[in-house]
Amino acid sequence: MEVKILSEKFDIKDAHLLKVAKKHGAYKTLDKLFSVDPSDVIEVVKNSGLRGRGGAGFPAGVKWSFLPKDLDKPVYLTVNSDESEPATFKDRYILVRDPHMLIEGIIICCYAIGCHDSYIYIRGEYTSQVKILQAAIDEAYEAGYLGETVAGRDFRLEVTVHRGAGAYVCGEETALLESIEGKKGQPRSKPPFPAVVGLYDSPTIINNVQSIASLPFILDKGADAYKAYGTEKSAGTHLFGISGHVEKPGMYELPLGLPLMEVLEKVAGGVWKGRALKGVIPGGSSTPVLTVEEAKTVTLDYESMAEHKTMFGSGGIVVLDETVDMVKLVENLIYFYHHESCGQCTPCREGLGWMLKIVKKLLAGEGTLADIDLLVELCDNIEMKTVCVLSAACTMPVRSYLNKFRSEFEAYAVDDASTE
Amino acid sequence: MAEMVKLFVNGQEVEVEAGKNLIDALAVIGIEIPHFCYHPALGADGNCRMCLVGIEDGRPPLVPACKTPALEGMKVQLDTDYIKKIQRDMLEFELINHPVDCPICDQAGECDLQDYYMTYSLGDSRMRVPQVTKGKKMDFGCGVVHDQERCVLCGRCVRFTRQITKTGELGIVNRTDAARVNIFPGRPLDNRYALNIVDICPVGAMTSKDFRFKQRAWFLKRDDGVCHGCSKGCNIYIDHHREKHKDDVIYRFRARKNLLVNGYFICDEGRLSYHQENEQRQTQTIVDGTAVSFEDGIKAILDRLERAKKPLMLVSPDSTLGQMWAVKRLATLYGAHLSGYSDAYLKPGSGDDYLINDDKAANRKGLDLLEIDTDKEILMAALDRCDLFINFNNDLFFTDINDDLKLLLNSADCVSVCSHDLPVHRSASIIVPTASYSEYGGVIVNEDGVLQRFRKAVCKNDNRPDIVEITRLLGGAITTWIRSWPGIRQSVPLLSDVQPEEIPAEGLKLADSEDSHVGT
Repeated sequence: MEVKILSEKFDIKDAHLLKVAKKHGAYKTLDKLFSVDPSDVIEVVKNSGLRGRGGAGFPAGVKWSFLPKDLDKPVYLTVNSDESEPATFKDRYILVRDPHMLIEGIIICCYAIGCHDSYIYIRGEYTSQVKILQAAIDEAYEAGYLGETVAGRDFRLEVTVHRGAGAYVCGEETALLESIEGKKGQPRSKPPFPAVVGLYDSPTIINNVQSIASLPFILDKGADAYKAYGTEKSAGTHLFGISGHVEKPGMYELPLGLPLMEVLEKVAGGVWKGRALKGVIPGGSSTPVLTVEEAKTVTLDYESMAEHKTMFGSGGIVVLDETVDMVKLVENLIYFYHHESCGQCTPCREGLGWMLKIVKKLLAGEGTLADIDLLVELCDNIEMKTVCVLSAACTMPVRSYLNKFRSEFEAYAVDDASTE
Repeated sequence: MAEMVKLFVNGQEVEVEAGKNLIDALAVIGIEIPHFCYHPALGADGNCRMCLVGIEDGRPPLVPACKTPALEGMKVQLDTDYIKKIQRDMLEFELINHPVDCPICDQAGECDLQDYYMTYSLGDSRMRVPQVTKGKKMDFGCGVVHDQERCVLCGRCVRFTRQITKTGELGIVNRTDAARVNIFPGRPLDNRYALNIVDICPVGAMTSKDFRFKQRAWFLKRDDGVCHGCSKGCNIYIDHHREKHKDDVIYRFRARKNLLVNGYFICDEGRLSYHQENEQRQTQTIVDGTAVSFEDGIKAILDRLERAKKPLMLVSPDSTLGQMWAVKRLATLYGAHLSGYSDAYLKPGSGDDYLINDDKAANRKGLDLLEIDTDKEILMAALDRCDLFINFNNDLFFTDINDDLKLLLNSADCVSVCSHDLPVHRSASIIVPTASYSEYGGVIVNEDGVLQRFRKAVCKNDNRPDIVEITRLLGGAITTWIRSWPGIRQSVPLLSDVQPEEIPAEGLKLADSEDSHVGT
């Protein structure tokens, strides 16, 4: 079931070093790249059906075409390597095992959108990964793949690595831009959108590491070759990170569209220790949980996930066995989002703190049934009234646990609901 | 004339200025959209979420009004159940960690949180878990006291120190509900406009040490005024109150918006100059060292005026045009030499490039317009040979005591008509009290040539007469300050068309004045 498109070089020793990467095909698309028009590149990417791999799944080529034409401002690319979504660990593989694939993808993207200064925003906690990445970039400069004349062409490209400082919210595209500009990583109101007003007031494309790293294959083998994998609307492959209560947790590259249960059984070895399945988080902690029944019918693509009222997300699959206390899980979730809230807007800043305290009250045996209703209502009150979707990233999954595992919450409530 | 567009609010068609954000556009036609973080001088931040409105068929359907420009055909939804619930919910989130400080909070009665709660919520508290506790009574410097628990983190104060004073003393630190407004350690507020922060804070998180616990807002009577601290003429609110069996006293000045003069703010010195209206007032009438009745004092001056052969009158650069004119007419009546010498009111280097001028006189331009001589040598010569010197409230020693002048004053027969008990007046043989600027009405002209009319605000119990009234009592022909104006119009070409009743609220730019340096 596994494929080796993005992960082609992952198991090759020292593939992060240029000399090894080159032996296995790194930067081979550049001749082809510079022989076509930038607009042709955008067309290929559009045709490939590549969707943003950060979690939102927005078609990459379409995003690029939002850039205004004929502006007197520079175009920027920022690569989102913040990777802070709980249960997500795919991008670090690219950074560590095949950074030159990412750099090649940056060259392709920047040529297509007319960008000469790009940034990689890497989460501050990736202290060892950033060293490998920067070393690869330095090698690329040395070899002339970056700098004043990329691969000897009349095309300048600078790649700057900007380290974050430990904030999940800086994975939000506009907060990321604020952070690069040296300000607090607080999201901006949209509109205006980054494609028009982005980094330093200029048109900016923000794409996830994996999205950019997918570009060399697409350019090399063509849009149809990419579409050969996956489904009609969810083309290509994804680096799925399977964790939790499975026999073989790990990172597995798979085409989109496979049935979830089949993947869990055949690739990850099934639920561990012979236990029963209780639920599955499909794509990172921000996605609503799937019950066992729902898990049986869902396939790993954007459409099926949407039909099941959850999201494909970042492909971070977490398997939950029968011993999981869903109330403690929700406490953990709310703790995270509350901790990571930037604090800018009222509902998220005050509301998530309130929700956390209510859940703790429940767990302490002092909560009531009315408290559970209040939690559900707060999810509705907070969601979509905020500047960014961090709050929704908390409330959407929490609501799903409250709805689908309500009895576990009620078990914590004190019997007498009339005390309030 | 601004371009207007037609849009719909709650189904009703209205006409508003195109491109203005919805809060401002609808406020003009009397529709309130509640908000905390938006301020016209500081721009929109979009973090309080209180101004969320629905846009029918809009993408997105829910927008913050502060960041949404008014467009033709827009369908704004303000009173749907959905929007009303959002307003209640946002208020609930603001209130869950808000301390119930109202009984001891200065802001009570003029608090946006209270007002919006009463209008848009009235919900019971559902907070059954411990509140977030934060710092209280924090001294931020410049007389500003911060209470972090009351703060709604709208960020207005931070934006003020960054955009207006450009001093950047304040910031919001920490993420999530650990977010706090704070100063850098050991670096408090340090600028001449810091107390504006108290004005702009929508709640009681920023209070003024000067005003703290002094009076409840609902007891204060608010009148429009013009600050007389310098020649900028910033617009103010005079908040005053007469407690039972006491006198009408001013409790504070606040900034009043005037886009032609000071914008939205005033300086701290001007703000605190209300103290000078209350303190060191001349209340008694003194003749040759003895306290007498006001009428006896006037009689004594009349007596001297009748006998004087070479009287000299000095007018104050703080007086209104009407008062200056009345004194000018009085001087003509008695054949007195008239001076407006007021170099003492100039403090070079004390001003800045924003709202504070070097010239501390409120109406020096009035002296120019009425062609009243201000030369020092001429005054000294006149003082030397005069046999009666009447000073109409001019503080010759405002910046410092001039020894030459003092010598001349000591040897002359001085009469002081003054509002304040100041060194320059103490050597006078007759001292008669008069009203200060908060106690009379009139017209003054600021340094940029903006004519402003202000009205009487404070009514002292002893209701001392203003300068115009005193000239009348001394035989002058002008009975009220309005009666000065036909004469003023006739003799000052630049003012020939000015009708005081028709001066607009923001003032009137005089034709020959350069583009005024407006504080924004």
